[in-house]
Amino acid sequence: MDVRLPRLGEGADSGVIATVFVKVGDLVKKDQPVLEIESEKAVATIPAPAAGTVTKILVKEGEEIKVGGLILVLSENGAGAAAASAPPHAIDASVGDDADEHPSIDVQVPPPAPQPAAPAAPVASGPLPAGQSGFPVVHPASAPPPASPSLRKIARELGIDLYRVPGSERGGRIVMSDLRAYVQKIQKLALEGRPPVPPAVSVPGVKPTPVSIDFAQWGPVTKQKMSILRKSISRKMVESWSTVPHIAQFEEVDVTDLLALRKKYAAPYQAKNAHLTLTSFALRAVVAALKKHPSFNASIDEAAGEIVLKNYYNIGVAVDTEQGLIVPVLREVDKKSIFQLSAELAALAERTRARKVALEEMQGGTFTISNQGGIGGAYFTPIVNTPEVAILGMGRGVVKPVVEEGKIVQRTMMPIVLSYDHRVNDGANAARFIVDLVKEFGNIKDADVKI
Amino acid sequence: MENVKSIKTEIVVLGAGPGGYAAAFYAADKGKKVIMVEQEKRLGGVCLNRGCIPSKAYLHAAKLVAEAEESSIRGIHFAKPRIDLNEMRAWKETILDKLAGGITGLAKRRNVEVMQGRGYFEDSTTLRVETSGGQQFITFDQAIIAVGSKAAMPGAFDLGNPRVMTSTEALELEEIPKDLLVVGGGYIGMELGTVYATLGSSTVVVEALDGILAGADPDLARPVAQRAAKLFREIRVKTKVVKMATAGKQIKVNLEVNGEKKEELYDRVLVSVGRVPNCADLGLENTRVQRDEKGFITVDDHQRTADPSIFAIGDVAGGVLLAHKASKEARIAVEVITGEMSTSDDIIIPAVVFTDPELAWCGLTESEAKQKGINVEVSKFPWSASGRALSFDRTDGMTKLVIDPESERILGVGIVGSGAGELIGEGVLAIEMGATAKDLAESVHPHPTLSETLSECAEAFYGYATNTYSRKKTTTEQ
Repeated sequence: MDVRLPRLGEGADSGVIATVFVKVGDLVKKDQPVLEIESEKAVATIPAPAAGTVTKILVKEGEEIKVGGLILVLSENGAGAAAASAPPHAIDASVGDDADEHPSIDVQVPPPAPQPAAPAAPVASGPLPAGQSGFPVVHPASAPPPASPSLRKIARELGIDLYRVPGSERGGRIVMSDLRAYVQKIQKLALEGRPPVPPAVSVPGVKPTPVSIDFAQWGPVTKQKMSILRKSISRKMVESWSTVPHIAQFEEVDVTDLLALRKKYAAPYQAKNAHLTLTSFALRAVVAALKKHPSFNASIDEAAGEIVLKNYYNIGVAVDTEQGLIVPVLREVDKKSIFQLSAELAALAERTRARKVALEEMQGGTFTISNQGGIGGAYFTPIVNTPEVAILGMGRGVVKPVVEEGKIVQRTMMPIVLSYDHRVNDGANAARFIVDLVKEFGNIKDADVKI
Repeated sequence: MENVKSIKTEIVVLGAGPGGYAAAFYAADKGKKVIMVEQEKRLGGVCLNRGCIPSKAYLHAAKLVAEAEESSIRGIHFAKPRIDLNEMRAWKETILDKLAGGITGLAKRRNVEVMQGRGYFEDSTTLRVETSGGQQFITFDQAIIAVGSKAAMPGAFDLGNPRVMTSTEALELEEIPKDLLVVGGGYIGMELGTVYATLGSSTVVVEALDGILAGADPDLARPVAQRAAKLFREIRVKTKVVKMATAGKQIKVNLEVNGEKKEELYDRVLVSVGRVPNCADLGLENTRVQRDEKGFITVDDHQRTADPSIFAIGDVAGGVLLAHKASKEARIAVEVITGEMSTSDDIIIPAVVFTDPELAWCGLTESEAKQKGINVEVSKFPWSASGRALSFDRTDGMTKLVIDPESERILGVGIVGSGAGELIGEGVLAIEMGATAKDLAESVHPHPTLSETLSECAEAFYGYATNTYSRKKTTTEQ
């Protein structure tokens, strides 16, 4: 059995082999990890699709491989290596055709050409019509694109690669309205003369061709290879920095009462593998503020000239890993209790640090929180995690003298900062948002935290 | 050549089988001037004359015999049937005449000129036709080659003895031999073996591979093999025919069964070991048409040969050798000629084996998915749970769906059971339309019919088929 690289997730069509766990001759169980692959943001383990013996390994660590590429050959259950390497003739050849059943060896008759009934559909053969290469392939190449024959024909006539057209029907089925929307998008982009996702580095004028400087001429240096993750962060940050006009709005939140709540409930939370932190409270407060200010839970669709307000609340949480920053996304934060969020976040962060999150788990966020408090940072201006339009930075709370009703009292004040995309929101909106956000922090009560 | 005036046409179609006449008619319907050249008197090609149609007529007759026999359990007792081969042959001929007459009539109404004779390419734009009235030269803009294939007769078996038959001779049904050997357990061997065995031949099928009906999923082929094991004297797999020789009124056959040598006598032998393209004597060497190492004409996914003015469709263009594939390719070729963007790239070609029970499949098979490493989920619905199947005592069937677990899209359908060939069309439509298991499950299927096995099979995928019990599918899996 040929083992091929399965689909890694939306938009990721290749990766680099990080580790190969097996060697030729190894007996593997079904679902046993056979190798680890590093794609843009995650390390994923590839499980064996069936039990068997590894008869051939076709990849090396560090090698780049595309989805569908041959990884290794597995001979199933007991069948020796010889059996596995025999051509799978019978299966391929005779779909409804009695070719290849030569009972005698000395037959001179050529059997009909073996051809699989349904040829594997190429993702894109030949050059792709203009303007589409920026759109990711969204349907698996193992089957024809999910669309009716008549629609497939229209797409062919228009030169549209249906593998890149998102389908709105069940199972991703593409219907006429999907094709129409896709074509309109391409046309619009063509008229504007720019690719759908500006490939940050190739925007003219933004980045000159990189030139290597010999730093060793001024003193000893150590060189480290940029990991895929580092490169990916770099690209993403340049893209965000060069497209989003950033503004930062600062504030302080009185977290004295929240810290008391935290102290009270930390142990019972911990007993249930949940981690009660200020981030848990921030998730709750942020969603409440976003509901009042939907323009911060939004994205900008330049092609369509639209601002897309999202009626769901998926909050990304920046996680510091050994290899660098990763932002997994908590789903439906508005529908979950603080306990649920704390438990989910603990598990998600742990998996992120182990780099076991799937690409999908890092997509679909509507807003991001970056909490540096744990490390001790105070004031910083985070960069918007595009295509989102705002991000909240949290610093370490500091005990300060605060005037309350004419008296000076000790309160723990936490610095927060909202970085946002000025294309979508103006300063006044941001001020209103942050004032409401501070209120929402204050609205969290014992009953919200109790398990 | 100079003294013969050539006939000019836009399109010439060589061959009048299910590929050829489909191409000729469609091109005419699209306003082209078409000449169809056929060397045989009766139109229709192998399908109509020596393939699909006559074999299905005989299989129907065989089924009647088998059902009459099995009716005793329902309290209906028939005497042993008296079989008159002359009458049966004549009945078959009336069917073929009717169909061929239909094709001739349709050609006339479309102004498609039918020229009877052998066609031979003089060059890339000229076809010489040897008609009974002498040579004719046709100059064409485009030619579509649809000359089909013929049953292979390996040199080692070709004794020049009519007792060694291919499917062509077997369909002439000269006699019901007492002992019949069928060499090759593919669909032709199994279908014709069924006809002869039901009509009374003691039939042995030998197959070189380790199972009959290679290409079908083994679990789908199993009910066919099980019933055949009762009908036939024997089915031997991993068996090779080493030699054949005439021995009086019989054929002496040397076999190698699992390495063990055997010598046996048979009254007749049916050789069904594959088919070869009819490419000889077409004058292809005078064109730029290329052939592959097996002799089939190489074409691209628009049915174009290496010669820009010549297209090839059907068996002669290789791939699976099925009439409906030829007809589809006819449409593709004509559409490409008339400037449409048609391709054979992602079409689903269903396969049907008309054994008893029938076996049919389309799209991705379970074995193919496994071999290509495509992650699929398979749902099966046994016909023992179908009221309709029970009502006519044929629960030896199964409906099976090959599903993409992520999108739940149906990628393949396999059916074994009585009438499977009639049911598979829905599978083709489902796959071509990109339907999901949910779509199939939610479409109401009439009761009591076998078509319900398709929707129930889709329901079984979700764990809630009414008539079977399966472990509930947890939708959060993965």
